[in-house]
Amino acid sequence: MTSTPRRTPPSAPAARLIAPLLAAVFAIGVTFFITYRIFGGETLDAVMQAINDRQTEANDFAAILFINALVGISVALFIVQLRRIALRVTITVVVALIFGFIMTTVFNLDSANRYIRGEFRVSVVTEAEVIEDEAADMEYGQARGDDFNRQGVLNPISEAAYTFAGRQGDLINVLAYAANRRSEVDLQVELIAPDGTSIGASNFATDEQVEQFDDLQSVNDAIIQGITLPADGLYTIHVRPQDLQTGTILSEALTNTRGAYEAFLLGAISRVNRWAVWIQDALTLILVGLAISIVFRARQFSLGAEGQLYFGALVSGVIALSGGALPGWIIIPVALVAAMTAGFLWGLLPGILKAYLNANELVSTLMLNTIAVRFYELVLTFQLQPPEAGYTASSDYPLSGQLPVLVANTQVTIAVFIVIIAVIAVWLLITRTPLGYEIRTAGSNLKFANYGGINTKRTIMLSLAVSGIVAGLAGAHLGMGIHRMLILNISLGLAFEGVVVALLARNNPLVIPFTGLLYAYLRSGAQFMERDANISFEIVRIIQAVIILLITAEALLAFVQSRRKLTTPAEPSTPTTTMESPRLIIESSAGEKKNV
Amino acid sequence: MTLLQAKDIVKVYPNGVIANNGVNLTVIKGEIHAIVGENGAGKSTLMKILYGLEQPTSGSILLDDKPVTIHNPQAAIDLGIGMVHQNFMLVDSFTVAENIALGRESVRGVALDRKKAVADTEQLARDYGLSVDPTAKVGDVPVGMRQRVEILKALYRGAQILILDEPTAVLTPKETTDLFAAIRSLVNQGKTVIFITHKLREVMEISDRVTVMRDARHVGTVNTFQTSIAELARMMVGREVFMQVDRPPVTPGQPVLQVHNLTFTNEAGRPIVRNVSFTVREKEIVGIAGVEGNGQTELIEVLTGLRPPTSGSIQVEGKEVTGHGARGMREAQVAHIPEDRLTNGVARDVSIADNLIVDRYYREPFKRSGLLDLNQIRRNGEQLIEQFGILVENGDQPVASLSGGNMQKVIVAREFSSSPHLLIAAQPTRGVDIGAIEFIHQQLVNKRSDGLAILLVSADLQEVMKLSDRILVMYNGEIAAIFPNTPDLTEEKLGLYMLGAQRQSAEEMEGLR
Ligand SMILES: Nc1ncnc2c1ncn2[C@@H]1O[C@H](COP(=O)(O)OP(=O)(O)OP(=O)(O)O)[C@@H](O)[C@H]1O
Ligand SMILES: [Mg+2]
Repeated sequence: MTSTPRRTPPSAPAARLIAPLLAAVFAIGVTFFITYRIFGGETLDAVMQAINDRQTEANDFAAILFINALVGISVALFIVQLRRIALRVTITVVVALIFGFIMTTVFNLDSANRYIRGEFRVSVVTEAEVIEDEAADMEYGQARGDDFNRQGVLNPISEAAYTFAGRQGDLINVLAYAANRRSEVDLQVELIAPDGTSIGASNFATDEQVEQFDDLQSVNDAIIQGITLPADGLYTIHVRPQDLQTGTILSEALTNTRGAYEAFLLGAISRVNRWAVWIQDALTLILVGLAISIVFRARQFSLGAEGQLYFGALVSGVIALSGGALPGWIIIPVALVAAMTAGFLWGLLPGILKAYLNANELVSTLMLNTIAVRFYELVLTFQLQPPEAGYTASSDYPLSGQLPVLVANTQVTIAVFIVIIAVIAVWLLITRTPLGYEIRTAGSNLKFANYGGINTKRTIMLSLAVSGIVAGLAGAHLGMGIHRMLILNISLGLAFEGVVVALLARNNPLVIPFTGLLYAYLRSGAQFMERDANISFEIVRIIQAVIILLITAEALLAFVQSRRKLTTPAEPSTPTTTMESPRLIIESSAGEKKNV
Repeated sequence: MTLLQAKDIVKVYPNGVIANNGVNLTVIKGEIHAIVGENGAGKSTLMKILYGLEQPTSGSILLDDKPVTIHNPQAAIDLGIGMVHQNFMLVDSFTVAENIALGRESVRGVALDRKKAVADTEQLARDYGLSVDPTAKVGDVPVGMRQRVEILKALYRGAQILILDEPTAVLTPKETTDLFAAIRSLVNQGKTVIFITHKLREVMEISDRVTVMRDARHVGTVNTFQTSIAELARMMVGREVFMQVDRPPVTPGQPVLQVHNLTFTNEAGRPIVRNVSFTVREKEIVGIAGVEGNGQTELIEVLTGLRPPTSGSIQVEGKEVTGHGARGMREAQVAHIPEDRLTNGVARDVSIADNLIVDRYYREPFKRSGLLDLNQIRRNGEQLIEQFGILVENGDQPVASLSGGNMQKVIVAREFSSSPHLLIAAQPTRGVDIGAIEFIHQQLVNKRSDGLAILLVSADLQEVMKLSDRILVMYNGEIAAIFPNTPDLTEEKLGLYMLGAQRQSAEEMEGLR
């Protein structure tokens, strides 16, 4: 019985080195690119300048570089761990971004409309003597105006006509201009003589004319200069917005979208404080993603992370607030351990319900989440909120109850190290511990696990509870690291975001740092897009949702394929990584953020 | 007249395994074409290519002399090619009729008409002589019936060419006879059947021509009437194969497994195992013969701790272990080769090395100071892969990438290597090739001679008779007869008891328990 499998000739060492090499190159590239961008970005000189300016805070620079190096490492891990799948994930993200770009452009098609919309004025400017006439709408020197294509009115006007009384031989100038700085309407104007013939028209003003006539503000305004009136009588000024060319519409839409996308893609690394928003959010998402990945590995569809997170935040918050004069090095560890314990217990509960009473974990965790959130609100409102406070929040944590910052004036704290430890711990748990073995085996084939003698009830119960430990930490990070107080709605559906992070990473704890960072990058990018670009809140949400949808669809596809593999004998399989997870519910929630 | 032709098929799996290396296959309309070869020779892969489940790396497929590309199973079905897989692909929670109707209905996008599905299923079953219970849930029916459901499903979708990947591996002799009758009637109705098997007797009995594969290559195609079992075996393995095992007589020692008045009643309150008592001793193989569905499956599940008995007691080496659960039984040195390898025996997307330690990962040397020793796990994997000839590069691969027979070898390797005192083996050679059967049989006998107590359950009566020292016959949940395996014991005699036509009295059995 000695047979050896036939293989293709062993791939050359060079071929096997490709992934690690690529990983190293990307890691270094990403590290430097991010650092370069947040310190100016334009030229190397500017970067040096920016760094020199911060010389007094040399530590900061080191810390930022350190964290960026971690980002680089997470990219490398992503490539090395997922290999071919990494390419697929990348392609999906790129496709999603392109799709989002097209969507945004479609929404922006509207943006050229500002040229046909807005308040305008017309006036007749002349040295000649004013003629009074009851029948005329206006007289020399006066200005009349209205609002073109105003939104929300019943009958928006797209054309206007005003009459004035003229005298033969008067030398006049007819002006049509945007009424204020906000209006960008691009006007065209025509002058009709009393006999109905057109005696002048214009759709622009030259720069000199803009200079010469105070009312004109841009070349989009229009002027008919130096007309000598041919006869006495009522002249009519027709004014309307210039027709839009398709080319203009498109190029405007593209310009706007490019601007928005620049904010979206580079906003998070445009300056240190924005970078910090990204990083701090990523830390939360990584922790939640880790928590979700543990239960998914056991093929339990638990969304308990949300409730565990609330309890973690609450318990750590109470300890941080009541620490009094105790030093941070006592309070912080105690608070963290308490948060982990709270998460553990709040995970144990649905674990027991599932394992021993066969209660559906999705239903039970969603219900327990509600209980946790309400309990949190109760304690916050009636116990922790200072009486003089205008809104529902606890008072600020004392310094000893805050996680020490790594980068001054940001919320990037030593939570970075907590997350590193958590990633390594979860990785060890899954790959190196008997419990991890039990979780993987039970998640892959419950009957097999039973047959092998594994106590699968205990395994399921513990998987939910252990996941709670990490979720509890995420809560502590939100309270002690980011907000430094307890606020209402501290999470807003983070568990769902954790699902995306975990699925994208194929529940691989070493890949979760990358997917967490990526997802946080897109989330914060959307915030900055909304803030920087001329683009409305809803559109940002829609784009974000589309991107999430595509990314999730991809992760879901992998899941569906892995399911199919279970029923189809030996599909082409992915040797190194397999994804384990139950059904998926996705909700894109708009996490409100503190302003930067 | 050539119907289907595969030319120079090469298939390289993404992990680098060359499963087909220039394979040619010619199928003539209306024939029964058998394909044989060792585990991992590439038979299933070739069939999956014909059915559109895998794409060939190179090579071409001709149908009626016209080149075709088969991108997916739907395309194959449209071309009239149906396949029944080595490992089942039914939806457990659906009824038999729903499963049969499913493929077709969902394509049309029409809601399933249950009444019609049941009627169609009954009609179909009658037409082809494959009896099924249309309203039973697939998860509840025995493997044999699942097999028939799979075949009916393919026929219902209009298959003209029917590919059967090891259909008889899971069947009882009676069912096999029925299946062969059905295959013959299919062929009489103009259908063509390709089927894979490891049982050369079956090849001789039913096929018109045989294609032999070895090491991903096509060794040859011969007319059945011009060949012999020995020649086929030689072509497959490349050496002489000894189909006989050498079973030296030994005297059984101390009782290892003692079962007293064991009864198991299922959830519906129906007694499945009734008042069963017997003993398995050291140096003894006790075989259980019986038509499938007479309580053997449940008996084994109770004995291995997967189900608690309703009443009665189980002792292993004198210790009471009733209701101790799977871990408890394994701690009592009871090994178990399960009947249904995919459901119970392996976790498909977990690595082979990890699959090999499911009963011992929590003990030394695999666990050291709280952590798993990955090196030890890898070494253990490599060693067993080598020792049991599992055809794979290394233990990191998921079990899903193994051929069916090699999956079985993973299970056998794990259970044999757990140094058991009692081995409960259900269908231990199901789906493995003749070389491996020879190996497993020899191992079973050797271990028994070395002192192991073995309880063997097999649908293959010849296997039971070849290996057992004593044979229990189960009928309707009870032990209907016990025989020492003497040369005068015949299949016919056992058959009478298996079908309930005869029954020994308690006194007759007394001394033999
Ligand atoms: N999905 C897969 N990925 C990688 N390798 C595979 C895959 N499926 C099969 N193989 C390998 O291809 C080879 C041929 O497998 P195949 O299933 O065709 O064998 P087989 O002849 O049907 O064997 P058996 O009699 O055991 O069913 C084996 O070495 C197997 O390990
Ligand atoms: Mg096969």
